[in-house]
Amino acid sequence: MRLKIWGIMGLITGVFFLAGFQLPNLPVPVPSAPVPVPSEAGKAISVGAKAAQKSMVAAKGISDSEEYYIGRAVAARLLSRNSLSQNQAATTYINEVGEAVAKKSTMPRTYRGYHFGILETSDPNAYACPGGIILITRGLIKECQNEDELAAVLAHEVAHIANKDGIKSINKSRWTEVLTSTGAEAARQYGGGVAGSLVSMFESSIDDVFKTLVVNGYSRAAEENADRAAVTTLTRAGYNPAALAAILSRLSSKGGGGGIFTSHPLTSQRVEAVKMLAREGTKSPQEQVRTKRFQQMRF
Amino acid sequence: MRRSRYLSGPGLWLMLFLLVGVLVGLSPGLAETLKVERAGTQMYPTPNFGSTPLGSVPAGADVAVMSRSGDWVQVNYEGKTGWVHKTAFPQAAGGGVKMPGFLTGGPVRETRSDEVALAGKGFTPEVEAGYRQKNPGLNYAAVDQVERFQVNPTQLAAFIREGGLTP
Repeated sequence: MRLKIWGIMGLITGVFFLAGFQLPNLPVPVPSAPVPVPSEAGKAISVGAKAAQKSMVAAKGISDSEEYYIGRAVAARLLSRNSLSQNQAATTYINEVGEAVAKKSTMPRTYRGYHFGILETSDPNAYACPGGIILITRGLIKECQNEDELAAVLAHEVAHIANKDGIKSINKSRWTEVLTSTGAEAARQYGGGVAGSLVSMFESSIDDVFKTLVVNGYSRAAEENADRAAVTTLTRAGYNPAALAAILSRLSSKGGGGGIFTSHPLTSQRVEAVKMLAREGTKSPQEQVRTKRFQQMRF
Repeated sequence: MRRSRYLSGPGLWLMLFLLVGVLVGLSPGLAETLKVERAGTQMYPTPNFGSTPLGSVPAGADVAVMSRSGDWVQVNYEGKTGWVHKTAFPQAAGGGVKMPGFLTGGPVRETRSDEVALAGKGFTPEVEAGYRQKNPGLNYAAVDQVERFQVNPTQLAAFIREGGLTP
């Protein structure tokens, strides 16, 4: 009797360990490809696996790498409208200022890091592409009177990336479609394979983000959140937080339509709210050093 | 000398089966380690880039795998537990230690042309390639140029210091 109990216990425990030897790895719920099984029973298993894959993918949301590819496509569109500055000294400088603020933001690092580029246009504007590419126009740099104001602009754009404001503009039903598409469903809907339908959905997602960044602009709430985050980031980085109010006031006083007034709605209430966040104080000796190196830079 | 009746016949074999099961079962799962291959790898308290890094893990360091979540791997390095993005382990990007073929099925074949697999991965380099082919006027060359630009860490530290900024 005792022999039988020992035997059953041993058998159960042995099978448990042999079957479960990968338990520490089990939280990896993303199968990369279905196992090819030729039989009818195998096909049924494969259908089940696809359904499981579908529900798991639907639960994961937009990954860091997907955000990165969306951002690259948005940047590619912007860079096909305006050329990239080849001024190495100026590019180095804005990357140094950008990195100095990004590392003090709520998202110090992204999937492939932050990268800053200058667009060759006199139209003052700046664009935060999802994933970490930030493009600022030469026109907006020229509007800045010192490094702290440039840092304020870049900190504001970093906040849009950290808050995922561009990604949030993707039509929710479209993204659900991306996540839940399976081969048969997508092929029926788009008349092609999943690869083709994904490209179409990718393209539509880029349209959504681009429309927000360039045409419609962010929501008032998104702008206010980015302003608040920028003031905090500037303070943490050692820049004068009042610089954000200074550059916004200057742009606002110039008035006009389109450009930055569309992409980053600039209302008098917004400028006043930023002024309340950080009041102008006396300039520190370090701020003067920063202003000097800004003025020495040829953009 | 009389052998114990519990360690004879079928009982002995079952005990041996149990012992082998325990040894084979525990060793690969609990001792999984990965080698960090990317320089400047950071360890985060949560599986996202938004949190402040706990510290860096040098390239070439071995880390013990605790668990995984999507693109992130929870590791233990020098007594500290945190999350590292899977891109730190390009060789092991497909997953952890596996013993294919025994009880868990055969090896999973990575079929790049498999559309369901592609759908499961969402927006990938393959999707970007399709998008580029469809939109040849887009300036991806300039995007690559922007991404290639790297600030030298020593130069950045000097820039921060000179400007009286917070390192």
